[in-house]
Amino acid sequence: MLAVHLLTIFLAAILTHNIALTYLLGMCPFISLSRSLRTASGMGFAVIFVITLTALINWPIYNLILVPTGSTLIYYVVFIIVIAATVQLVEMIMERFFPVLQAAFGIFLPLITVNCTVLAVSLFMVIRKYNFASTIVFAVGSALGWTLAIVIVAAINEKLKLVGDIPKGMRGPGIIMVTAGILALSFLGFSGMVNVQ
Amino acid sequence: MKDKILMIVFVLVLGSILTTALVAVNYLTTPVIVKNEEIATKSSILKALNIRFDPGNVEQIFADNVEVRQRNGTTYYLTKEDNIAFPYSGSGLWGPISGIIAIAPDLEHLKGITIIRQEETPGLGSRIAEAAYLAQFQGKVFTKGLELVQPGRGGRDNQIDSITGATMTSDAFISIINENLKEVVPVIRQGESQ
Amino acid sequence: MKSSTLAKGQNLKTFLNGVWRDHPIFSMILGICSALAVSNKVENAIAMGAGVTFVLLATGLLIAMLRRLIPTRVRMITYMIVIATFVIVVDRVLKALFPDISQAIGPYVGLIITNCIIMGRAEAFYIQNRIGQSLIDALANGFGYTYTLVSVAVVRELLGFGTILGFQVMPEGFTKWVVMAMAPGAFFVLAIFIWIGRSLAGMEEE
Repeated sequence: MLAVHLLTIFLAAILTHNIALTYLLGMCPFISLSRSLRTASGMGFAVIFVITLTALINWPIYNLILVPTGSTLIYYVVFIIVIAATVQLVEMIMERFFPVLQAAFGIFLPLITVNCTVLAVSLFMVIRKYNFASTIVFAVGSALGWTLAIVIVAAINEKLKLVGDIPKGMRGPGIIMVTAGILALSFLGFSGMVNVQ
Repeated sequence: MKDKILMIVFVLVLGSILTTALVAVNYLTTPVIVKNEEIATKSSILKALNIRFDPGNVEQIFADNVEVRQRNGTTYYLTKEDNIAFPYSGSGLWGPISGIIAIAPDLEHLKGITIIRQEETPGLGSRIAEAAYLAQFQGKVFTKGLELVQPGRGGRDNQIDSITGATMTSDAFISIINENLKEVVPVIRQGESQ
Repeated sequence: MKSSTLAKGQNLKTFLNGVWRDHPIFSMILGICSALAVSNKVENAIAMGAGVTFVLLATGLLIAMLRRLIPTRVRMITYMIVIATFVIVVDRVLKALFPDISQAIGPYVGLIITNCIIMGRAEAFYIQNRIGQSLIDALANGFGYTYTLVSVAVVRELLGFGTILGFQVMPEGFTKWVVMAMAPGAFFVLAIFIWIGRSLAGMEEE
């Protein structure tokens, strides 16, 4: 049943195969932005939007243009250009029409281009040969999963800074890695919920 | 004006360097990659059928001993002794599992199973790929479906031990094998009855 | 005489910079993505390190060579296209020569494109420096990245599989720390390395 299949992909992307906690992707901004809950959730929203949009654009480009013409060799180049262009476009549109949003999330956009998760979702879509519906569900799910992870880590870290006496060398990136590790460990408890293709 | 010319020169120079690199790499690597995949599949088929081979002469041995047949879009492989092998795939716990199943001419007994790809937990689920684990499939009867039992508890000829600590992967793997057998064997039966 | 000594001094400084002070992972926390995912086995770490080093060298060479020609407004896109092209090269060569490793780290090779180290160096160094210097910087950063990855991988493979590069090192009865072969292990080991590295280098926050 298609609905069940899509639900499986969705749940797997958030819980059992979380793109940050299982595949260890999108870590760079993790380190710098999980200092505060506000920046984490800001980046999260931007990521959800950009990942879904780029997946929506990259799928037809790959399956309707590259594959039929046998030019799949260059798909890395094509994808990254699409991502950069999409982000540029989104930035321009936000500046023009949604200045309020721009003030809140604008600074995160340039960083998203080099966020591995955006490219990764497009790459996985190719490797797993997802159809269009699966791609959308996978993209949204992955983005939500990443956001979930970074938001939880940020929340924990905010509290930790208030009560913890963190060793000097651990402050900043070190303790964030430890927090993420413990979170990843707990997410392992979800495995077995769904069987993923 | 100078800017525009510079821009054009830049695009041309960059374009030609990159395209040359890509074309060269494509030309050099594609045949090797295709060859690798072919040899991997053929080795797996030979291994499942228990035909001895050296890494150097896979192609030769395959050509000598195996015949490729097609029916209803399913490809399967026949040996001189009428053993049959065919590829299988399905979802494991962590990712896709795929490989080759080999069965005896009576279409009731398993001859062997190989795993080409799996992404299960290292040390636990991925132990399904160990030779010792796969060896227990040889000679089992699959007509009523294979059954998973606790290690050491099984005695019947369709029972397979599960892996301690990797129940989910063991479950998934048995389901994959049973489903693929159910799907493909009737097609082979049809194909061979002619 | 004096100018060549100066030049040599400059080269050494550039090299040491990339390997320690501006170390991509420890001090600048760049390129963590792949450091975590690919460090489960030493052979994967070496392959990834080699791949990143190659892309760094090739990108450094090309960008430094064309730096006078690259229009400022499109330099980001240029970096991306150049890096993506060389990543395709690495990916194909890996698939052809080492298919097993390619299957183990496959998607992560493609993600070298978004590896902040390469873009970072291109923007900070290669666009403004001579070919020679850029190549040295590329080598240094690649080396720094590789030895970090390999160090983490040695710990993870040893504890998680009992082997190094496939050779059994731990005694037969050793209970494998499966967590080391999985995601959480990566986080923990890297955290400890960062802790040690930063304490040694006397770095504080950020």
